[in-house]
Amino acid sequence: MATPRQTLTIGNVLRADIRGFVVASRIPEPEVPTFGTFVRAPIQQGRTDLIGLVYNISLQDDPFLKNLAINLDQADEEIIRDQRENRVIPVEISVAAVGYRDEKTYRYGLPPQPPMVLYRITVCDADEVRAITASPNFMRPLLENRDVPAADLIPAAIRRAAELLPEAAREAFYLQAGRYLAHYLGRDPIQLEQILKQFSNPVTFQA
Amino acid sequence: MLHIECLQTEIEAWSAFAQHKQEQFTEKVEVAHGYLQSPPPPVEIRARLAPLLGRDWTGALPATEAPLDASFSAPARPPDDVTLIAVDGSQIFPDRHAAILYYLIQVGAIVFRYNGQTPIPHSRPALYYQDSDLFDAQGYVVSAEKVNLRRLTQEMAYLCELATDERRAAPTTPLFALTDGPLLWAYPERGQDIERAFQAYLEALGALQQTGVIPVGYVDRPGGRAFLELLWALHLAPEELVERIGENPFQQLRDYRLMERRLPPGARTAWFTRPTTINRRHSEAGQEIWFCYLNVGEAGHPVIARVEAPAWAIPNESAMLTLHTALLHQARVLNGYPYVLARAHEEALVTTLDKKALEDVLQRQLMEKGLVPQMSEKARQKAYLGKR
Repeated sequence: MATPRQTLTIGNVLRADIRGFVVASRIPEPEVPTFGTFVRAPIQQGRTDLIGLVYNISLQDDPFLKNLAINLDQADEEIIRDQRENRVIPVEISVAAVGYRDEKTYRYGLPPQPPMVLYRITVCDADEVRAITASPNFMRPLLENRDVPAADLIPAAIRRAAELLPEAAREAFYLQAGRYLAHYLGRDPIQLEQILKQFSNPVTFQA
Repeated sequence: MLHIECLQTEIEAWSAFAQHKQEQFTEKVEVAHGYLQSPPPPVEIRARLAPLLGRDWTGALPATEAPLDASFSAPARPPDDVTLIAVDGSQIFPDRHAAILYYLIQVGAIVFRYNGQTPIPHSRPALYYQDSDLFDAQGYVVSAEKVNLRRLTQEMAYLCELATDERRAAPTTPLFALTDGPLLWAYPERGQDIERAFQAYLEALGALQQTGVIPVGYVDRPGGRAFLELLWALHLAPEELVERIGENPFQQLRDYRLMERRLPPGARTAWFTRPTTINRRHSEAGQEIWFCYLNVGEAGHPVIARVEAPAWAIPNESAMLTLHTALLHQARVLNGYPYVLARAHEEALVTTLDKKALEDVLQRQLMEKGLVPQMSEKARQKAYLGKR
């Protein structure tokens, strides 16, 4: 199911290590990627891409807005609209690595190198997300990364990927993911239950 | 590395000096305020000070018949149906030690309509890399002054462009084009480049006039003392006027300190003009610049700005009242600085991170073409040390 490539560059790498990186971004609110978004960053002089998942979005301090907020009232409609609709929000977006792409395929796990500072980060398009999530192995680095909220991040990523599949293929996709998690988290039934509960009622995390 | 502890004596002396200077200022402000009691009418002032004209005296003259000590207030509410267009600029200066020799100018603007709609931000970056951009006639890398000059003319040209579009969209709405800084040309007459830029600047002011847009210069914490020069000149007897005009006891004082003392919150002074050579040249082009002081602060916290506008706009009392109201509203939301100018600055701003990102892209482009850009060894060492 080919879809047009609709990618969005969201910012520059601010700091990075092999398990993930943080992006500094100043883009309008509607374009800020959401929790569980797949993104890619060039590594190894752009010969390959690291694939990661957004697991945290934090608003940076904005003294301009702070100063303004004290004095604004509802009559200042134009200024409120300017702040909401036009002004770029300084945000830091944290990304956990799930794998990387070599010339032929996706490899899951930690990449050979982190992205370099100031490399530009792009949101993956639908084809890329389908290809990355075709194997449940993309969840392994998330389950092994103690810095990320895997119990929330994995369901969010699975749901995002499932939405890109034809309706008829979704059940099998959820089942495949569930089996993988049951195998991987056999010794951690509490986390397994937390994740699978969100699978059993995917509607609950549509909000 | 700075050893601050070695400066301890100087720091203590500095704070004592600052305290002493503040006390002196307070005394001088009171003296100047005393000079302002019962001033003669403007017509008499102009006649008395006529001998100073043509001598490049830097004082102010009353531009209207309003008394010298008059102040004018405006409604404390957002104005209706008016549009402000603010513009500002930012630049990356050329650096001969950097890996890539270029400079960049970005002009930012915002169109702010008081009609409940979302303001419209604009920005326009331009990269300069041709030899004719980068080097002067002697073969040296162009100076920061030349880049600033180019930025100024670009700001004005951009303002004209946006104002023309806005006028087309709203033929009857009062329109003000705001710049952060004086409207009166600030560069001394020196060389053809400056002269060309000045002519372009005057033409832009003329174009705004033709479009029915009033250009406005907004100077926050103004550094001038034209009003104090006027008070000193009025204090002198006619026979000593020319001889003693240079003995102004308020030399270190600035007008804004006196205005903090006497202008109530929200009020402005009367309009004044400066009979300087550069303003005469403005005048010859039909663009003489007048100014007033405006207190955009609150009780106990005065914030004085100098507002400059062309003489042709001032007789439109309704427009001037609208401008006064709009500036008060704009400054109220940002504790004494117009919101539109702050936003235009934000749109224009090129941050250090932006600069790094741009240079990264430029370097990659060169490397793809087999060229290896290298900064000078001096710049490299400074970059290492600067990171500490």
